[in-house]
Amino acid sequence: MNTNQLSWKELGRRSGGALMIPCAFAVILLTLCAVNGRAMIANQTSFYNFVVYTAIVMVTTMALSINLNSGRFDFSLGAMAILSSVVSAKITFALLGGGAGSAPCMLLFNVIVGALLGLLSGTLYVVLRIPPIITSLGVTLIFEGITYTITGGRYVMQEVQNASMSGFIGTWVYAFLIIVAVLALTVLIFDHTKFGYDYKALREGQKVAVNTGVREVPNALGCYAICGALMGVVGFLNTARNTNINGGNLNFGSISIMFTAFLPMFIGSYIGRYVNEKLGFLLAALCMSMLNSTFAVFSNELNASTQSIINAVLLVLFLIYLSNEGALRRFLRPVRKNASTEVRA
Amino acid sequence: MKAAEKSLQQSYRLRQLLIHLMPLAALAILLAALCWAVTSKGYRLDIYLNIVFNEAVVLAVVATGAVFIYTLGSFDISLGASTLFSATLGVMTYNATQSLPLMLLVILVTAIGCSLLSSLLASVFHIPVFVTTVAMMSVLSAIAAQIITKNGGALGGISIPSDLLRPLDTPWFKVVILAAFVALSIFIFSFTKVGRRQKFLGGNPVCAQLTGIDLNRYTIIAFVMAGLGVGLGAFLTLIYTPSVTTGTASSIGMNIIVAIVFGGMPISGGPNSKIYSALVGGFSYILLNNTLKILIDGNTGYGVSQIVSAIFFLAVVYVTSINYRTKLLPR
Amino acid sequence: MMKKSMKKLFALLLASALILSVFAGCSGKSTENSADPANSPAGGNEEQSQAPAPANEKPIKIGVLVADVSGEEALGFRNYYENYIAKNYNVELLYTEQLTDAAGERSAIERFAAQGCQAIISFSSSDRAMQVETCAQNKLFYAVASGMLDDEQYETYKTNEWFVGQVGPSMETEFEAGYAMGKYFADKGAKTIAMYGAFIPNPMHVYRAAGVIAGMGATYGGASDMGAIVGQIFGDQGVDPSKVSGGSVELVSYFQGYGETTTDELNAAIQAQPDAFLSVGMATTFFTQQLNTAGIEFSDIDSFTSGNQAAMTDGKLVYLAGKYSSSIGPIFAAVVDAVNGNPIRGEGGTAISVSQSYLVATDTASFDKYYSADQGDSPIYNKELLDTMIGDSVTYADFQAFVEADRS
Repeated sequence: MNTNQLSWKELGRRSGGALMIPCAFAVILLTLCAVNGRAMIANQTSFYNFVVYTAIVMVTTMALSINLNSGRFDFSLGAMAILSSVVSAKITFALLGGGAGSAPCMLLFNVIVGALLGLLSGTLYVVLRIPPIITSLGVTLIFEGITYTITGGRYVMQEVQNASMSGFIGTWVYAFLIIVAVLALTVLIFDHTKFGYDYKALREGQKVAVNTGVREVPNALGCYAICGALMGVVGFLNTARNTNINGGNLNFGSISIMFTAFLPMFIGSYIGRYVNEKLGFLLAALCMSMLNSTFAVFSNELNASTQSIINAVLLVLFLIYLSNEGALRRFLRPVRKNASTEVRA
Repeated sequence: MKAAEKSLQQSYRLRQLLIHLMPLAALAILLAALCWAVTSKGYRLDIYLNIVFNEAVVLAVVATGAVFIYTLGSFDISLGASTLFSATLGVMTYNATQSLPLMLLVILVTAIGCSLLSSLLASVFHIPVFVTTVAMMSVLSAIAAQIITKNGGALGGISIPSDLLRPLDTPWFKVVILAAFVALSIFIFSFTKVGRRQKFLGGNPVCAQLTGIDLNRYTIIAFVMAGLGVGLGAFLTLIYTPSVTTGTASSIGMNIIVAIVFGGMPISGGPNSKIYSALVGGFSYILLNNTLKILIDGNTGYGVSQIVSAIFFLAVVYVTSINYRTKLLPR
Repeated sequence: MMKKSMKKLFALLLASALILSVFAGCSGKSTENSADPANSPAGGNEEQSQAPAPANEKPIKIGVLVADVSGEEALGFRNYYENYIAKNYNVELLYTEQLTDAAGERSAIERFAAQGCQAIISFSSSDRAMQVETCAQNKLFYAVASGMLDDEQYETYKTNEWFVGQVGPSMETEFEAGYAMGKYFADKGAKTIAMYGAFIPNPMHVYRAAGVIAGMGATYGGASDMGAIVGQIFGDQGVDPSKVSGGSVELVSYFQGYGETTTDELNAAIQAQPDAFLSVGMATTFFTQQLNTAGIEFSDIDSFTSGNQAAMTDGKLVYLAGKYSSSIGPIFAAVVDAVNGNPIRGEGGTAISVSQSYLVATDTASFDKYYSADQGDSPIYNKELLDTMIGDSVTYADFQAFVEADRS
């Protein structure tokens, strides 16, 4: 997208389109809080949490969308995030004993271990050549099993509760830097490299792309490795935020992390019509973070079950809109025409 | 030349036969493995077979209904939550009316209703089926949790009198339910145009619709059959244990997918879909898990047995999917 | 054609074999059950009460039902059974994986029956009535550790010969634990508190939360008695701060559960700058670091573990009501008695029902006393003590006095 070539009108249209949903979220939720005499973000720490949660949702959504957009459904994202965190926490603690530099060290290991786990998952997929959804079911069970075996089903706490980790989460800066870095890297990789062009070609037409010489296997492996690295980042952020890792997930207990990214993924894809899709994911993550903060404000009135229902209803409503946009426009058009005719008359 | 061709054909046929027999062979091997593991440890085989049967019968019934959805190339992740929700409303109904027939009716109507709602949302509003079922899963389990915790009080769950369904807690009754539902499913799937058209729609939806087959109609039929399976599964769950907690049927949703694939059916549905996959896969998966639990002891053993179970699952799917290999990576 | 018919034949044979084996299995008499003494609650081997038994004697096999595999308290219990009891007695303890529902509990009990267990000790509470019935059907002794049946359920099953009994905090004890915690901070002069309701509507947490409110001297929705407060909390699915009134302490923030919004809710609670943060469970697992950093005194109902010791010594944990890990020793002794044919029964042949109180530590010294008194090889309920409860002359009154004695 070259902004130099865009007219002001087009720029306005795109900006408006991109900001429409986040603004709508902000207006509705801020009003809701204000009417009830509360603040969505009451203080500095709330703001830090807001930024961290935005980073978590954005990165998870990106990881989910990379493979899902290519028709590869991956249930193992949550298991990957948890296993990479457990392994990294253990290594980091063994190296630094919870001392200075633990947080950046763990983040680095999380990315490396996550990428390796992703690569392992991708290798199984390309070697076995069974549908990715099936591979991901097996991989999820394997990763959960490994995590459980390492932790004995316990919470990992001692290894991740230290000054370095709390320092990481005690400011908005690091989370913001992660957002910027991930955004920049994904835009670079997927929009400005041969890997990215191949990815898009394979996404839009697998058969044609392969017939024209695109090497599908390395591209798929790359996608899985990137997904794994991103989930490593998510695992780190979740660990820093929660100050523990639950090592007791078995029998698909880890897959719920994936479902939280569906709504932002669809919102992000919608915003992607107007701006870069990755930026769309960031804006969608902002929306989710606002919703999460509002839920926190009203936690006494809205219990966890009600929050789940609201999230699910929002997802369905948004998809109904997305899937029936054309019909809705056709439906609304005569009304507008009639209205303008009435005004003229 | 002809002899060579014939021999090639024969070897191809043999290979196909072996591939098709693989899920059944896996079931036989797993049954033998369980028997061996139980007897070698000196445990009681009769009780173990009973446990396996009770665990597998619910999974097999729900998965058999789900085959209709999977045949269309869709999949439904909300069936576990739907089982919980149906059982919850069933218990609430019995406690309010003391009527067993009404309880059964509510369970079946709720299950079919939930399933229909998913399919209507998908077909009327053109939402991807999977996403609809993700939303349904959240909503149904959240509502069920609200009902259970509000009415369960200090017991933490809701229940019907324990002796109400005890007379039905026999293998005979459960086999009758399973056999009747499987027979009905096979009849619809193999002896009516419904099954043929669903396979066609799953295999090539564009072509099928161009020939005049109504996708919405067959999607609704598929979801009704899945709903019926869920309703029967919820009823069987209550026969086994008369109480419902928020964790009831929590593992069924994902196990259905594993069971169906384990039974040799491609996840993409289409012409290779088979009703008996759910039955074979459901029993195989439960047999595998029970055998591994016997063989691998200790707390961390649960993690190890899950890893072994997953590897075995991938191996069986790998072999059974040899027929569906393409040059391109599958999606 | 051949392929199809072969497949059908094979499938048919296999299905028939499976179903026939199930029927064959079910028609088998369950009285074949393993070790002799377990077959009849009355007919036991008295000599077996002397422990440890000779090496060649068959160990007593006990199945343990667990719903929590990762909590500090649950791990402490397990450690005591596996590393002390199993080493000092001729017993074999088999554990379940994490049980999440009643169906899992039933199949676990049946699995233990198949493995030749003679008794079940339950830490899982999805459906305890069903657990008693399933154990009775399979001729297994059944005991509840660290918890209790509902009053109505106890009345129903108290004369069931396979129901050994229950030792643990009753719901009244949970209320009292919460009450004492609330009162402690009210007496200390706290004016504002934040509260974590853990996993309400888990009944245990509901009763504790109700106790905290009452202990603060406040009413909930105008009610001050246990039953009314508890009923309202179940109805509200949590504590509604606007319904808390009266007393000298104000509830400035409340949250429960653990999920996406928890960090924000904890932050909101910290920002309300309460004088204390009261938790009815799991806070020491989830929030120790944040509360220490914020410098807010906090309390919890948990267990005496090394992590909590550090939080009390170096952090802001100032009140901990807990059970020590060996508190599940007495119910083990009662189970051994039952298996050996010496069941401890109350008047009219009723099963044991003894409530166990919490121990409270409010400083490092008291914490260390409980913590160090209940370590690995030297637990509070050690072999010497437990042996006094194993034998044919132990009465209900002896057992009750044994459990209720102050061991601190």
